[in-house]
Amino acid sequence: MTMRRAKRILHVAGNDLRIMVGDKAFFFWTLAFPIFFIVMFGLLYKSGENAPAVAELTVVNLDEGRWGGYFVEKIKAPNLTIKTADAEPAEYSRLLVLPADFSARIEARRDQALAFKKRSGASVKAAARVETRLYQSIARVISELVLYGEGDLTKFLDGHPEFRDIVRVESRFPEKTVTVVPSGFDHSIPGTTIQFIMMMVIIYGGVTVLEDRKKGVLARMLFSPLSTADVFQAKLLGRWSLGFLQALMLIVVGKIFFGLNLGSLPLALLVIAVFALAMAALSVFIGSLCTKEDMIIGLAVLLANMFAGLGGCWWPNEIVPPAVRRVAMISPAHWAMDALHKLRFFQGGFADILPNLGVLLALSVVLAVVAGRAFKIRD
Amino acid sequence: MLEIRNLTKSYGDILALDRFSLDLGKGEVLGLLGPNGAGKTTLISILAGTLADFSGTVTFQGRNLFADRALKNRLGIVPQDMAFYDELSAMDNLLFWGGLYDVPRAELKRRAAELLERVELAGRAKEPVKKFSGGMKRRLNTAIGLLHHPDLLLLDEPTVGIDVQAKVSILDIIRNAGASGTAVIFTTHQLAEVETTCSRIAIMDHGRILAQGTLDELVRIVGERDIVEITGEFAAGPFSEALQDIAGDGIELLSVADNLASLAVAATEQIPRIMDRLFRRKLAVTDLKIKSPNLETVFLKLTGRSLRD
Ligand SMILES: Nc1ncnc2c1ncn2[C@@H]1O[C@H](COP(=O)(O)OP(=O)(O)O)[C@@H](O)[C@H]1O
Ligand SMILES: [Mg+2]
Repeated sequence: MTMRRAKRILHVAGNDLRIMVGDKAFFFWTLAFPIFFIVMFGLLYKSGENAPAVAELTVVNLDEGRWGGYFVEKIKAPNLTIKTADAEPAEYSRLLVLPADFSARIEARRDQALAFKKRSGASVKAAARVETRLYQSIARVISELVLYGEGDLTKFLDGHPEFRDIVRVESRFPEKTVTVVPSGFDHSIPGTTIQFIMMMVIIYGGVTVLEDRKKGVLARMLFSPLSTADVFQAKLLGRWSLGFLQALMLIVVGKIFFGLNLGSLPLALLVIAVFALAMAALSVFIGSLCTKEDMIIGLAVLLANMFAGLGGCWWPNEIVPPAVRRVAMISPAHWAMDALHKLRFFQGGFADILPNLGVLLALSVVLAVVAGRAFKIRD
Repeated sequence: MLEIRNLTKSYGDILALDRFSLDLGKGEVLGLLGPNGAGKTTLISILAGTLADFSGTVTFQGRNLFADRALKNRLGIVPQDMAFYDELSAMDNLLFWGGLYDVPRAELKRRAAELLERVELAGRAKEPVKKFSGGMKRRLNTAIGLLHHPDLLLLDEPTVGIDVQAKVSILDIIRNAGASGTAVIFTTHQLAEVETTCSRIAIMDHGRILAQGTLDELVRIVGERDIVEITGEFAAGPFSEALQDIAGDGIELLSVADNLASLAVAATEQIPRIMDRLFRRKLAVTDLKIKSPNLETVFLKLTGRSLRD
């Protein structure tokens, strides 16, 4: 491709972008309206799942002996804050009560019950972390006792360091268990972005292809050294940049006002860029097929909402049944959202989103080919 | 510098261009006159490169017009449609369309400002074009085709549906282009404007040129005869029959429609004979005009159709 030709294509694409952005309602549809969606779905799927980094545990140690204190030492961990209280406080997230006869029962080798309470509404994830730590601690104390054997338990704490901390208990979740459900603004901003890329690119992109054809603007471009293929490429590029611009606007707003975290910004932008390419091709295809503006708008609203709902833009697809997840694969939005979720919520990297990028790129190519065939200069 | 040879194009059964041939030299302004459906737009579209599936050759500046994309830089085309962006200003439209050609940006800006001045849009250069009147839009549509200073300018019905002022302005542009060495073909079905604007006139119908030459040359086709235009209450068929036996004998039937007919007569003495035949057939005549031959009568003679059909 010669420089002149590339310049001409950029010239046409840039002009397209400027015309679409110059529309009176543009910022309402691409900014105000999506922000409403972001807030709505962000709050709807907020839940307590964004667990605090440090889980809190309040311990009421009523033990009259020394084993209570020893047990509390065992519970201590970096991601746990332990508060102590003399009696059950009015407010707590989680509470562990060690009874007065805690040491006595251990030394007498008798069974006993500990009370662990959770406040409803507190983070379930944090509670799970504390509970796991409690089981670990109990297991460690018991194993020490078992290894110590038949000796006098009242003497255990005064010596015998050889029996201390010889057993480690680790907890791991089996692979592929959903330990995290994407939620909050980190889910709703990418979700809304993907939805509005579909909607805006198809509507603006499709309608302007139709209008330009009807007005004879496309034909006039061919009077110049531009070829039909050049015009087609310029149309793709213009619509792609509209989609990407839409995403950038929402990401900037997300970063400034909603503390948006995408996991990896460059990789997230890559996913969005490829997705926007597929939608750009779809918009040229629809704009070339349709003969009425209303048809394009109707089709755009239908497709964008169907793909958005199915693709996990509104609620995370991680919570839908496996059968629905399989159907969701027909939605281009699914592949984008799945990749974005991997990056933000599942510590995914480039290798993890490669299949998603592959699917979206293949879709772009297929749509570009059919759009190229349907593309016409005049009716 | 432009040679069109045997251009033929059909849409299904309709033969829109039928072995159309034409030559045009530098600075020549050719008015292509033809009734609706004559094939004017088809010709312009083929030259513009937006219509495919035709046969014939077009040589422009010694090269095949369709093989060399760079030649497009030398070609200026003003389509029949108002093909530009309504939401942009006149200036922005000129900069966009001019930007498709290989004209340096600064030079383009200078030419755009100058053209806006010439088409009297300079005062409203920054307004969105959608606020413009029909005439203003036509002037802009024309200006867009001139930005890159083409060697050949093609205009398809550039004066349709506009006020007199805008028409004068556009015809001025065409004349100026010709004077500065640009070859021009413009199509129209307005006789008056070709008479005043063109160095050469071609009359076409059914996809081919019927006659061409200067205005004088064309008028001589009808000869040194008078033209009689008869209005009345008659159908075309009976009217022709009534004059059948005297036609040829110094009387030529140029065109006959219901209630309107044109004849060329060698001398006005023939008129009583004509009236006599019509009277005998009881064909009512309400008006009769005697004219000198002009382009309109040539057109009538060649196409059998009035331009206002
Ligand atoms: N796209 C088309 N499809 C079918 N027939 C067409 C098409 N365009 C023009 N024609 C026909 O071709 C003939 C020439 O049309 P056109 O070139 O538009 O004439 P003009 O511009 O002189 O009015 C007419 O009979 C017209 O009906
Ligand atoms: Mg026409």
